[in-house]
Amino acid sequence: MAIEERASTHVYHQKRMFTKEELDALEARCVHEEPPYCSAACPLRLDARAMAAALAAGDFDGALALYGKITPLPHILASGCEAPCRKKCRLGELGESVDLPALEHAAARFGQRTGGTGMLRLKKKKTAAVFGSGAFAAFYTGEIARKAYPLTVYSGFENAAGFLAAAAPFADAEGVRRDAESLEAAGVVFVRADALTPELYAEEREKYDILCVSPEFLSLLGGGEVNEAFMLCESRGVISAPADKKGVLDAAFGARKAALTADRLAQGLSPDNTRGEEGAVETRLYTNMKGVESSRSVKPAGGLYTRDEAVREAGRCIQCRCDECIKGCAYLQHYKKYPKKLTREIYNNVNIIMGDHMMNKPMNACALCSQCSVVCPNGYDVAEICLRARRTMVDTDKMPLAPHEFALNDMEFSNTEAFLCRPQPGFDKCRYVFFPGCQAAAIAPETVERAYRDLSARLPGGVGLLLGCCGAIAEWAGRVSIYNDAVKLLDDSFARLGNPEIIAGCPTCARMLANHGNVKVTGIWDVLDEIGLPAGAKGLEKPAAMHDSCGARGDGHTQSAVRRLAEKMGCTLVETEYSGDSSPCCGYGGLVQYANREVAREMAQKCVSGTDAPYITYCMACRDRLAREGRESRHILELAYGSDAGSPPDISGKRYNRLALKKRLLNDIWKETTPEMDCGFAIDYLPEARAAMDDRMILESDVTAVLQYARETGEAIQDCGTGLIIARRRLGNVTFWVKYEERDGGYLVHSAYSHRMNVQTR
Amino acid sequence: MADKNYYTIDPEGKLRCMKCGVPLVKGKAKFMYLDNGFPVELPVCPVCGFVYVPEELALGKVLSVEKALEDK
Repeated sequence: MAIEERASTHVYHQKRMFTKEELDALEARCVHEEPPYCSAACPLRLDARAMAAALAAGDFDGALALYGKITPLPHILASGCEAPCRKKCRLGELGESVDLPALEHAAARFGQRTGGTGMLRLKKKKTAAVFGSGAFAAFYTGEIARKAYPLTVYSGFENAAGFLAAAAPFADAEGVRRDAESLEAAGVVFVRADALTPELYAEEREKYDILCVSPEFLSLLGGGEVNEAFMLCESRGVISAPADKKGVLDAAFGARKAALTADRLAQGLSPDNTRGEEGAVETRLYTNMKGVESSRSVKPAGGLYTRDEAVREAGRCIQCRCDECIKGCAYLQHYKKYPKKLTREIYNNVNIIMGDHMMNKPMNACALCSQCSVVCPNGYDVAEICLRARRTMVDTDKMPLAPHEFALNDMEFSNTEAFLCRPQPGFDKCRYVFFPGCQAAAIAPETVERAYRDLSARLPGGVGLLLGCCGAIAEWAGRVSIYNDAVKLLDDSFARLGNPEIIAGCPTCARMLANHGNVKVTGIWDVLDEIGLPAGAKGLEKPAAMHDSCGARGDGHTQSAVRRLAEKMGCTLVETEYSGDSSPCCGYGGLVQYANREVAREMAQKCVSGTDAPYITYCMACRDRLAREGRESRHILELAYGSDAGSPPDISGKRYNRLALKKRLLNDIWKETTPEMDCGFAIDYLPEARAAMDDRMILESDVTAVLQYARETGEAIQDCGTGLIIARRRLGNVTFWVKYEERDGGYLVHSAYSHRMNVQTR
Repeated sequence: MADKNYYTIDPEGKLRCMKCGVPLVKGKAKFMYLDNGFPVELPVCPVCGFVYVPEELALGKVLSVEKALEDK
């Protein structure tokens, strides 16, 4: 029975996978976007991480551009900034912090401003004036000039150089000159007033729309309370600064806030209108300091950094970021997305009514292994998002069947043609049932047979056998109704055996079956640990790494039990960086190998990158996928039962193995005769045809069905150029084509291909 | 209005229907997928209507259109 394809692309059901509140709460758990510690401590929010990266790459212009974003007077700020960033630098915990002020200074000195001086910029209509001097007035002048207000500065100075030099006595003359150049380029008018008096102010103020006075001049005017959030003295209607804020960074930050207030006033808005977040913040960023070494700052030989010294100092920055999930996951690396961004895009994808679902492929490429939930400091579980998205899209009939159809058909095959449920001969009801899992029967049928024979010989009370799929495939595909059918089939089967204790051969099956409720599930590793290994059990000679299954994530008991078994067999185990609970998926989980082979391969490659040693697995799918990457890998039951499953079988081999195992066991153990597996005619394949079929997920049984149909109906064509015969048959949702030649009453297949579109004459 | 065809293949007499014993001709066919239809001209048996989809077409254009529609 074929699984039904969705009816149409014109389906407009909608169902949200999360409420907005749930989405916000989820996203808030991802701290990837949180500012680094240095930036969070800076009230001006310098992107110091990016600046350090630019400097480390020798890009002084880029670094200045970043620094210039937070201040109009980079030389002066860099010379005098109190640098709270430096105190928060994580390197300070181990040795010396990155000398960010010195780097800022280097960026200001060696960087060239790009994008012109702003001289030709169209000026705004509202006019502004500054009365007084000092650091706040200087920074405010810079901010307002940058915003292109025509600006006049009344002070004791006739030009920008004098005005800035007095405001920043700590800065070097060259730096002051360069900052002054930018004020002059912006067309700021400096009016020298020998005596800056309230009378002069009263005379001139009416000429301007936006007024700012220095704190000193404000007190000369009689003072007034300044609201620090907006830098506004409302009683006098002027922008100013509190007299007690004396620091350079206070002045720069105050000027930034004041300039925003000026904007709001110029627009006739309240100063508190849409200001956004201002000032330093607490960051929730997590940075893993494992492997970071203590180091000391580069000391400038000549008082100030040379270019080379600045590059070296910037290179010390460890670029604080939370990438814990990405580091261990080939999937997140492939799509270059962190969970918060991924979640939002998947959420939007699910909600699209019409148009392209750009995130279908990514959401079907997650292994649903939950490694991220273990390595994330806040337990972010991308699997939960992707699985819920798949289910929601299935519910709304928006989920394409193509990515998962082969796997779902394979599950159906496991639970119909290849399904077997029998009590141990001589028992009506059994105390145990062995459930090896579909992949064990598909990949290592000999091992399954030996394990069953061993368990049924050594355990009392009868051991039944159940060959089938636990339902994980339907669960991963988001197909709840198919999963429920599998649960019912298994529950009915277990009931027929007298509801025995389940001995699972696969950790994922164990986990899935434990959800059935009212069943006891034990891993075969626990049973062997208790009753002892069978005779002939033998570990690998070479040291080997244990690849933990994602089905055993969070299950320390199973992880220890398999290690104990391996050691009892004489294995020497080596640990890898990502093992135990943080083990990556082999690419089988979540049906990735069906939905996205490229990502599945990257996952398997990631798994084997941890060590050059051979791998021992306790999930047959892991064994298969690691072996496909050319790494020696053995399932722990292969070692226990002394049977090597050899090279991984192709997709048809996996089906054949299951059918042949069922037939053999029925014949040998239950003495039941079974029909021959022969179709009645011989089919041979060219090697390239077989390879293409594996790649295109075309089974030998599909080819057989096409040839059978051609034999029955005579429907086929002949290519007169190649002489090959070409036949086709629609099986379920797919049309299969076979190119072949007839040979000795049989067939030699040259090629096979398929398409999902239906074709007909018109 | 002239018939719109998304794709045309002329068998040029190189293909033969084995059931009917006649050469395939360029004929009108239609691909259908997820409730969308695409008129094409493909090698068709003039007698039984067997429509031939060549391997290159199935693995090329047809596959890419399938994928595009699946994500609609």
